[in-house]
Amino acid sequence: MTLDGDWVRNATSRMDLTPRIEGRLAYTTDQRHLPGLLHGAILRSAHAHARITGVDISRAREMPGVHAVVSAADVPGPNRFGIVIRDQPVFCDERVRYEGDSIAAVAADTPEQALAALDVIEVGYQPLPVVSDAALAEQQVALHNSHEEHGGSNLLARETLERGDLEDAFSRCTVIVEHHYQTPRQMHAFMETEGGVAIPDDNGGVLFRVGCQSGHRDAEQLADILGLAHDQVTVESTATGGAFGGKDELTVQPAAGLLALKTGRPVMIHLDRFESCRTGIKRHPVTVKMTTGCDAAGRLLAHKVEAVLDTGAYASLGPAVLENYLDHATAPLYRIEAYRVSGRLVYTNNGVCGAFRGFGGNQATFAVESQLDALAGKLGMEPSAFRQINLRSPGDAGSRDQTVRWTAPPAEVLAAAVASPLWRCHDAGTGRWLTGTGMAMGAQGNGLGDGLPDSGGGRISLSPAGHICVEFGFSDYGQNIVESIIQSVCNGVGCRETDVEVALGNSRGPDSGPTSASRSSVLVHGVLARILPGWMNLVRGHAAGLSGHPEDRLVFGPGGLYFNDHQVLSYRELAASVNLDELSASASQDFPVAPDAEQPVGRYLQLQIATVARVAVDRLTGRVRVTDLHHVTAAGRVIYPPGYLGQIEGAAVMGQGMALTEDMTTRDGCYLADNLDQYLIPTFHDAPVQRVDVLDSTPEDDPFPIRGVGELGIEAVAPAITAAIEMATGVRIRRLPVDPGDLLVGMAAQEQAL
Amino acid sequence: MNNLVTERLAVRVMRPESPRQAVSFAKRFRAPYIAGGTWLQPACERDRQWPVQLVALNPDWPGFLGVQETDGGLIIGALTTLDELARHPLTSVYLPPLVGLLNRVAGPGVRNLGTVGGNLLAGGDLSALALALDAEVDVLAGKGTGGRPLVQWCLDRAAGDLLRSVTLPDCRDWRFFVEKLGYRERFSPTRATVACVHNGQQLRLAVCGEGGAGRLVVTEAMLRDQGVRELGDLATVIDSELEALGWQCTQLRLAVCRMLEFGLAEVSLEA
Ligand SMILES: Cc1cc2nc3c(=O)[nH]c(=O)nc-3n(C[C@H](O)[C@H](O)[C@H](O)COP(=O)(O)OP(=O)(O)OC[C@H]3O[C@@H](n4cnc5c(N)ncnc54)[C@H](O)[C@@H]3O)c2cc1C
Repeated sequence: MTLDGDWVRNATSRMDLTPRIEGRLAYTTDQRHLPGLLHGAILRSAHAHARITGVDISRAREMPGVHAVVSAADVPGPNRFGIVIRDQPVFCDERVRYEGDSIAAVAADTPEQALAALDVIEVGYQPLPVVSDAALAEQQVALHNSHEEHGGSNLLARETLERGDLEDAFSRCTVIVEHHYQTPRQMHAFMETEGGVAIPDDNGGVLFRVGCQSGHRDAEQLADILGLAHDQVTVESTATGGAFGGKDELTVQPAAGLLALKTGRPVMIHLDRFESCRTGIKRHPVTVKMTTGCDAAGRLLAHKVEAVLDTGAYASLGPAVLENYLDHATAPLYRIEAYRVSGRLVYTNNGVCGAFRGFGGNQATFAVESQLDALAGKLGMEPSAFRQINLRSPGDAGSRDQTVRWTAPPAEVLAAAVASPLWRCHDAGTGRWLTGTGMAMGAQGNGLGDGLPDSGGGRISLSPAGHICVEFGFSDYGQNIVESIIQSVCNGVGCRETDVEVALGNSRGPDSGPTSASRSSVLVHGVLARILPGWMNLVRGHAAGLSGHPEDRLVFGPGGLYFNDHQVLSYRELAASVNLDELSASASQDFPVAPDAEQPVGRYLQLQIATVARVAVDRLTGRVRVTDLHHVTAAGRVIYPPGYLGQIEGAAVMGQGMALTEDMTTRDGCYLADNLDQYLIPTFHDAPVQRVDVLDSTPEDDPFPIRGVGELGIEAVAPAITAAIEMATGVRIRRLPVDPGDLLVGMAAQEQAL
Repeated sequence: MNNLVTERLAVRVMRPESPRQAVSFAKRFRAPYIAGGTWLQPACERDRQWPVQLVALNPDWPGFLGVQETDGGLIIGALTTLDELARHPLTSVYLPPLVGLLNRVAGPGVRNLGTVGGNLLAGGDLSALALALDAEVDVLAGKGTGGRPLVQWCLDRAAGDLLRSVTLPDCRDWRFFVEKLGYRERFSPTRATVACVHNGQQLRLAVCGEGGAGRLVVTEAMLRDQGVRELGDLATVIDSELEALGWQCTQLRLAVCRMLEFGLAEVSLEA
């Protein structure tokens, strides 16, 4: 099945998407009408690494329009935050570790006054040597003092996954390839930069309306920082203009919260693009050496991986990214007899890295798939034939010996990609533009991964207006999860879309866990599957009492309940007839993990993608145009086609950016790009023609027929593009983004050799 | 007084009544001119260096706006916007490849405000073509007014020189090759833009971009003396001339060489 425009048109014909498309949807940072609103601004470090010798905020306090100035001394709770390890200061007072570190914040009547006050805050710095090379970080001065947590070194985490006897397996290989790969520090480049408002209440608590990805978790961290009881902090993540992982960590909330409490007035902080570039989280750059071998028949025998991930100044989700990187570096789609996959996560002064769509997985897949092409090349085999030999079958255990649930046999995904019209045209061209096609595969597990607490709940009720009200803690940051939820409720209940009302992202509502790791759709479906039958019985029972019709003959339908095809009660009438709490139900579930392992292993629900890329390379300049992408996806049932298509296509364009133009390079710990005219994401003119196919053979009674597709589309794009470039030019690029200059030099060398 | 939004001193914008007064303001206050402001504003914001005064240019001044056909060729007012130039019917008559090039300059918003003069002064994409066409510029300077070759003005331009218009020769039956290398398809600063022009007798080559704008006079001389010879030689000459012009990056020089070689072949093929 190909998802085309008709699917989208049919699914969206009744929706009013115009405000979204025209940017008129009210986002968190649009709340400028609040009475008494003050504007906050944050003072950032002037150095990538320095000791702070003094912070003087006294002059700032006297500036016109200023209501409060806060610094480290004003943080009542721990002056630290971080999802995995709380190692990032709200305000630095001893040392700054990257040029985005916060030192103080100001609330004033206008944004201009707040910025002016920042200008007169005096900070004394004593510059320290900058740790800028991740490969050397462990030999340099430790950025964090804590010996207990980091052993006094810049090594934040180290992990090795092993299987089989690697040395023996290598000794039996006919062909071994060893290459170094490098992937960039990519920026999320969301439409709405980080921001939101903190609103104090009358009881000493604070309400945050911010762009974020996990209201409950943020509320907990914020309560600690602000020295408040947990129930005094509420987070509402209203419509957010994009996140992609970049708003998983706290951003402006601690500063806004402190200023709101200090002034007793709502405080808005909204970073401009310069500040967002400088301070925001990025994708982990990875350098890796991979050594992979196979026998003469092309069977993969041995695979060794040594990776270094640069997490920047603070941990954020780095340890989890490392874990996911390593999982993907085991080549989950393929049978490999023995592997040793190890990685080191190091602190540097190069900004901060954390969650980003793909979460380390796509960096690993880039290298793994490139290795497979290299082996196929050495054996003189078609890359697809080489993959065919090594692909897992549905009954096989996963790469970590865990049980795996695919939604289609991997061989079918590969076969569909091989049948792609793109894959069949192999001409390299002789004129100015050299064309080539490449293919790569990727697997993607849903859920947070190994060992992390991963559960989520939801609630259903009737609203006084007679809507079926469904609540989840997830955030809508553009993926339009609301529509997926509405579709699931309509399918489960039999009502119409206008009967359903969805409330998201309130930390006072059900805790669904973070909106990340492609987990929301899985949990929405799982939770609804749990609560809908019971809730419908509850409502039917009540309706039977009201209408006098037998309970088992009452049927849910558009607008209300029906008996013999006639509506006997509307949802509104039902709502009016009862204490609404009596007609509500909630449930929560643990994210499905592999059930049989001693220690539960994530990546139980596996998705797959094969991406076929076609490129044109300019023989004169080495510039690469991606003209077509064809994705064959196996990611469960499609409940909301525009969402599925949008996620796959959008992620693919993001992957294309990572492959071709995007890199937040640093010099001495300082970013070299500061805005989107220097950091270059693909434009509409760069976006290729895309086709998205869906293969789904999940049985009707599969307990997990719905999977999350938020990250799948990015998984295999980069290696498919570099494979296509190789097909066109004969040059294999292993460092991303592809440098046209490097490619050109490679092409010129090839021409010379002819 | 600080303008607090952008952390800069308030900028005083002077609005002279005539081009002469503009020149005198620019000299007296050492103030830059501002046309569309699309280059000036982000450049100042990025460097955090704002001028104290700016001299605003007025498109109503005679000769500063529009495209005019004369016996000597095409006169383009310096304050003509890039968008106006792209849409003007004479552009596609005289310089068909320019329309395609302009479409790849910045985005619609910048083209709507950005001017031909501003583009040339900032070493933008138009520079290579204008240099290769041997454009003449009409400049108001402290000492007087007059036309002179753009190539020469690029070398001896004085602060306060005000560009009124650019004159392109009648190039209707000339052959052109113009190519821009950016980082992406659209909305990319130029890495290198090259232009090859053949007027029936003579080839002219020019570049602009990361290494700066200039005519490749040495290469042109070699081509004049010896014709398009062994490509190996040509590449070496172009490469060293680019390096002398200030193009440091060897990979980019390689790309420029190949673009020029290709362009030369295109314009010479049809000759
Ligand atoms: C996002 C973005 C993308 C861009 N992309 C491109 C691109 O792809 N290619 C490209 O070529 N350019 C690009 N530019 C650069 C530039 O803005 C445009 O080329 C534009 O044409 C500049 O014209 P302006 O009228 O806005 O100049 P201004 O910013 O007003 O002035 C530029 C300079 O020229 C001087 N000046 C202006 N007019 C005169 C005059 N008549 N006489 C004397 N001096 C004068 C000014 O003092 C100033 O020093 C881009 C700019 C932006 C912001």
